[in-house]
Amino acid sequence: MSVEISTGSLARLGFGRTDRAQRFLADPALDGLDRAGVEAIGRTADPDEALIGLLRWAESARQADEAGAARLLAEVGEEGTAGSRLVTLLGASVALGDFLTRHPDRIVALEGEADGLDAATAEVRRRLLRAVGADPDAEIPVAAGDGRSGRDALRIAYHERLVQIAVADLAAPDPTAVQPAVSEALADLADAALDAALAVARTSVDGHEDVRLAVLAMGKTGARELNYISDVDVIHVAEPRPGADGGSVDEEALIATASSLARELARVCSDRTAEGSLWQVDANLRPEGKDGPLARTLDSCRRYYRTWAASWEFQALLKARPAAGDRDLGEAFVEMVAPHVWQAAARDGFVEDSRAMRRRVIDHIPRGEVERNLKLGPGGLRDVEFTVQMLQMVHGRGDESLRVRGTLPALERLRDGGYIGRDHAAELDASYRFLRAVEHRLQLHRMRRTHVLPTSEGDLRRLARALGLLPDEFPARYEKVRRRVRRLHEEIYYRPLLDTASTLSEDQVRLTPEAAAERLAAIGYRDPKRALAHIDALTEGISRRAAIQRQLLPSLLEWFADGVDPDLGLLAFRRLSDAVGSAHWYMGLLRDSGVAAQRLTRVLSDSRYAGEQLEQIPEAVRWLARDEELRPLGREALIGEFAAVIRRVDTAEEATEVLRRTRRRELLRIAMAHLVHLVRPEEVAAALTDLAEAVLEAGVQVAAHVVATEDGPERPSEQPQTTGEDADEDQSALERLGIDLGVLAMGSFGAAEMGYSSDADVQFVVADAGAGEATTSVAVKVATTLQRILNAPSSGADMKVSADLRPEGRNGVLVRTIESWSGHYDRSAETWERQALLRARPIFGSAALREAMRETMDRHRYPDGGLTAQQRRDIVRMKARVESERLPRGTDPSRHLKLGRGSMTDVEWTVQLLTMDSASAHPALRGRTGTLDLLDALVDADVLPRRSAEDLAAAWRLAWELRGALFLWRGRESAILPLDRIELRAAAQVVLGPDATARQVEEEYLRVTRHARGIVEAVFFGEPGPGA
Amino acid sequence: MERHQDAVIRTVEEKDVRFVRLWFCDVIGTLKSVAISPADLESAFEEGIGIDGSAIEGLTREFESDILLRPDPATFQLLPWRGEVAGTARMMCDVLTPDGQPAASDPRRVLKDAIARAEAKGLEFFTHPEIEFYLFEEPYREGVPLRPTDTSGYFDHVPRASGQDFRRTVIQHLEAMNIQVEYSHHENGPGQNEIDLRYADALTTADNILTFRTVVKEVALSMGTVATFMPKPMIESPGSGMHTHLSLFQNGKNAFHEPGAEYGLSRTARRFIAGLLRHAPEYCALTSQFVNSYKRLWGAQEAPSYVCWGHNNRSALVRVPFHKPTKGTSSRVEFRGADSAANPYLAFAALLAAGMAGIEGEYELPEGAEDTVWQLTDKERRALDYEPLPTDLFRALESFESSELMASTLGEQVFEYFLRNKRAEWNRYREQVTAVELDSSFFRI
Repeated sequence: MSVEISTGSLARLGFGRTDRAQRFLADPALDGLDRAGVEAIGRTADPDEALIGLLRWAESARQADEAGAARLLAEVGEEGTAGSRLVTLLGASVALGDFLTRHPDRIVALEGEADGLDAATAEVRRRLLRAVGADPDAEIPVAAGDGRSGRDALRIAYHERLVQIAVADLAAPDPTAVQPAVSEALADLADAALDAALAVARTSVDGHEDVRLAVLAMGKTGARELNYISDVDVIHVAEPRPGADGGSVDEEALIATASSLARELARVCSDRTAEGSLWQVDANLRPEGKDGPLARTLDSCRRYYRTWAASWEFQALLKARPAAGDRDLGEAFVEMVAPHVWQAAARDGFVEDSRAMRRRVIDHIPRGEVERNLKLGPGGLRDVEFTVQMLQMVHGRGDESLRVRGTLPALERLRDGGYIGRDHAAELDASYRFLRAVEHRLQLHRMRRTHVLPTSEGDLRRLARALGLLPDEFPARYEKVRRRVRRLHEEIYYRPLLDTASTLSEDQVRLTPEAAAERLAAIGYRDPKRALAHIDALTEGISRRAAIQRQLLPSLLEWFADGVDPDLGLLAFRRLSDAVGSAHWYMGLLRDSGVAAQRLTRVLSDSRYAGEQLEQIPEAVRWLARDEELRPLGREALIGEFAAVIRRVDTAEEATEVLRRTRRRELLRIAMAHLVHLVRPEEVAAALTDLAEAVLEAGVQVAAHVVATEDGPERPSEQPQTTGEDADEDQSALERLGIDLGVLAMGSFGAAEMGYSSDADVQFVVADAGAGEATTSVAVKVATTLQRILNAPSSGADMKVSADLRPEGRNGVLVRTIESWSGHYDRSAETWERQALLRARPIFGSAALREAMRETMDRHRYPDGGLTAQQRRDIVRMKARVESERLPRGTDPSRHLKLGRGSMTDVEWTVQLLTMDSASAHPALRGRTGTLDLLDALVDADVLPRRSAEDLAAAWRLAWELRGALFLWRGRESAILPLDRIELRAAAQVVLGPDATARQVEEEYLRVTRHARGIVEAVFFGEPGPGA
Repeated sequence: MERHQDAVIRTVEEKDVRFVRLWFCDVIGTLKSVAISPADLESAFEEGIGIDGSAIEGLTREFESDILLRPDPATFQLLPWRGEVAGTARMMCDVLTPDGQPAASDPRRVLKDAIARAEAKGLEFFTHPEIEFYLFEEPYREGVPLRPTDTSGYFDHVPRASGQDFRRTVIQHLEAMNIQVEYSHHENGPGQNEIDLRYADALTTADNILTFRTVVKEVALSMGTVATFMPKPMIESPGSGMHTHLSLFQNGKNAFHEPGAEYGLSRTARRFIAGLLRHAPEYCALTSQFVNSYKRLWGAQEAPSYVCWGHNNRSALVRVPFHKPTKGTSSRVEFRGADSAANPYLAFAALLAAGMAGIEGEYELPEGAEDTVWQLTDKERRALDYEPLPTDLFRALESFESSELMASTLGEQVFEYFLRNKRAEWNRYREQVTAVELDSSFFRI
């Protein structure tokens, strides 16, 4: 008789689909199940699934053994019986339920008293080998029968043992307590399966008896921390078996046989038969990865690890463990690689590798799954493993006690060795076990290799109940653990670096100075001793500042290490901190805005310039918190800003100072926006040009005032105050002088592509606005005053205003009237002067004056019918001369970023030559001054092939960006690609990205400029170059 | 790593080695040597030995004269001609920048990079060079005709036997240094010899060639003669080539071999050959790097001056030798364009890169040549599409300069330096007033 229970009762017991449950319970196949049994089912993780699983099993079991099935059903309600274990299992694992339904007789796995996790490793191995018909005691166990029957037999025996493990796991009152034992049992089972699979593989590989094959388990199998279903990572090592015939096998044949065995072994495990499959055997961690031979001799491995292997491979070898096949050979392999593993932290590139690894971990997860990914998400299993392994690698070189494979054992050793505090170790241990237990439950359900938490309520409920938690408890607990793990990495790795000198409570870790230095060195600090001194200085004392810095530094230390020069960053931070003192806003900002703090570390470790400026202008740190404050001001806003500041001052000296200070502040804003990649390089160039225009405009106002007050006869009663009280007066200063002063921006200023330290090249032109005869002399006074104000010697990167490109150069009059200026170009200007007009742009003066300038310029820079033969010759000759003369003596032409081979000047001249020649035919070329802008226009006009334009643009842009990066890095102008590797790497990382090397940027620069040079030569000298 | 270094230090102690020479080479392939005392070995392994490299051709740039030499302990060998006890040993070195990065300008680095790129695709590069050279009675002096040590020919057994003694001593020394010799015999020209080194991975072979040249010169001197690897010392006698057998291995198997395919050549092999052919004009400046090299290439004595391949065709640039069907490991192609004066690191790197370009670009292999190419007329050759190799260094440099493949294989700095250096050589050559000119025009007008 089956039980009859009301749907209400069933719901109370935990069933969801009560109608169906009622129907199932009425099924004769379940005869013998009593109410206690139904209650037991209700206690399982998923009562509905457990019930349907039980019904299926019972139908199948009754056919095989009617009495046995009934007996088992009757005892479901009784704890500690096979029946009760069965339903617990069915409630948590559909996959294993299916297995038992297929093989009802395998229920014996549930019987007996012994704890399922206790079975000895050797015993499991014997069981599996016997299952495939091999003799466990034979030196070379070989399966009986053919590979097919062996595969099925192996699968059945494997799953039978898996049932035992799962049952023991599920029966445990605290799943996190047994988690390590479960993982070990799973690893032992994997070992045994590998051995049995090898025995099966031998049946189909001829000559296998000549080969000693060792299967090394890697990864989680190697560390004996396996989960229910996972790829099993292995490496195969082979040696000849000292044969009975005494003859040695030739290596090629040996490797061929061993590889066949390895391949067959993998197939035996992964093939899908009626009994399913075990798992994939993944041998990609072997030397040379996918491309390498599947098996190698010990000697061949040794050679590989000595010469070719990368750092991460040694980190992987940390887990290598003989798992199957020839144990002695396996041990020999482990012994051979051990010294390499522990030298890895000392190898070149270790820092870069682990840095790249850290980045990859974060980058690789699909966005939507980040939070739900147990393994790779922030605060997931990988974070725990990374923390532990990193510390193992860093300290394991000197401390042999740390050389263990598993995460938890390693954690224990790290705690005992005093590298991790007891509390932290306990927390990390508990978090890891919890996450692993979740993973186990997740995979157990359908034996799927997944690490992503489900989203459906039903799945989440089952997961929670399988863990012994209430469905509501689980998400909160999971969140808490992950949040904690995320913080723990910092706490554990960086926190102890702060406390090397201070007094500690009993439980805290006290690192030796050596250990602390090792940790800093491992993440890229080149002078750990000094870094520790900075850390001490920043955190000592009981001030609020010290307290907040103690709280922040663990994160900051890591962020500095992500930048170009962590040492520089930390030093600059200390200086800044001293400069700002304990200003309330500064500490608060860093504490409250993660963005600001992270950006600050980037700015400080990538740029000496920004560090120095921030010391002078500490309030600029504030901008880092908000994009809209950090973004460079536009031209109009800047002009307004400058107008406002000069209005507030009284003397010319004061005005000069204020102009300069404001300019420095805006320059810093641009630099920081550049460094944190808020703006693109092109925007930086535009912003720098806008800034120069605003400075110049303000400078003219001030200069006009100075001149107006000094000898303003028409306003004799004017106060000695210069830059007057209100805006109208400012505006009229030039008017009062009776002149209309025009400023023409030339060179990179005119092209709106200035660099950080570009001079502002200009020409001054004037029109009479009432001054009459005195027009020129008054204008010269204003221009001279302007230059005196802006060019006064000072420290720092000041903008120099240069009018050297004016007619007749330095010998010419500083300001010409518009008529004289136009006359010069109409009558006596040389070709190069006309060429220079291509980048000229009127930026100041009345609209009429600007238009007059433009009109004259167009006539000369865009000659009708293009260049004459004579003009062309002039330009080409000038180019040839400039090349040999302007480059500073002794400079390698291929490394000069401005005047070098295929560099900025080369590209600019090419653009100018082509534009001058074709602008009359292609009006779209007119009025453009920017190099990149003109390159695009030349392509559109079919003057230059697209490929060539791209090559020229690439060279110009890279040179521009390198100059910018070098300025920021060094804090001063430099036009030469440095030879110093550290400087080169700094520029590389700012321009090309965080993993770029010195050699990479050097190669890249030399390559693009070589291409550009080929085109330049073709255009100028008619020499065919690549790409032309 | 550790163990190798320890073994070196131990051997130095046991054999009472007094000097260790650190060997490296410049861009041209000239061997350079710095001797250190055994006491400095450890720091040489750890940090490298710093030297002022400013005087070394192409190795450093102006203002950056400091370089580090880091010896490769796997290449440690005693120099046999310096005696077994209280002797001298050598190691090949990598050249590093002061911050420990591989120097862009180190030819050994160029080959290592090329090898690493192939290995990333699972391919290992093996080479087997046949090196020809001449022995003369005394060093060259202007105006004095060269006197070869004998007047014999190909495979001749020379009764006076000094040549045989010579080769025997060379081989003994080489084998003492763990350089296996496959084969040695008298060559076609008077005083010309050939010694074939056993196939090995390309880096080892290149190291061995440098050593080999030194050994040959040392032994010649010890016997009162002079050896030269100059490509073409005498106008009427054949030049000295370095035919090189090339093969790629994948997973320990010969990737050129495919049983049953035509000539046993795998698809990989066919593409590799196609790459060698297509890029031949570009790398010619490396495999034939001197003005004099082109006198060998165009000297009419069986040098392969047209770009084609053929099965067992000795007139083709690339020859596919008969293979023994039973020996899959021996499949290889023979490149006949290089001469004995090439810088082996750069030449091998270029050949590998050209072949790899063929594999990666899946180049189609043209028809093989069946005729003896130098017996065809120009028109016939044109009909068959056999492109000539550059006729002189100037033209070779033009092809070289326009080659992206060469620039990326050598790296920008070696590429640039090589061009500059070779252009200078060409210009010096062009300025000469030669005896031929004097003879032909002095009296005529």
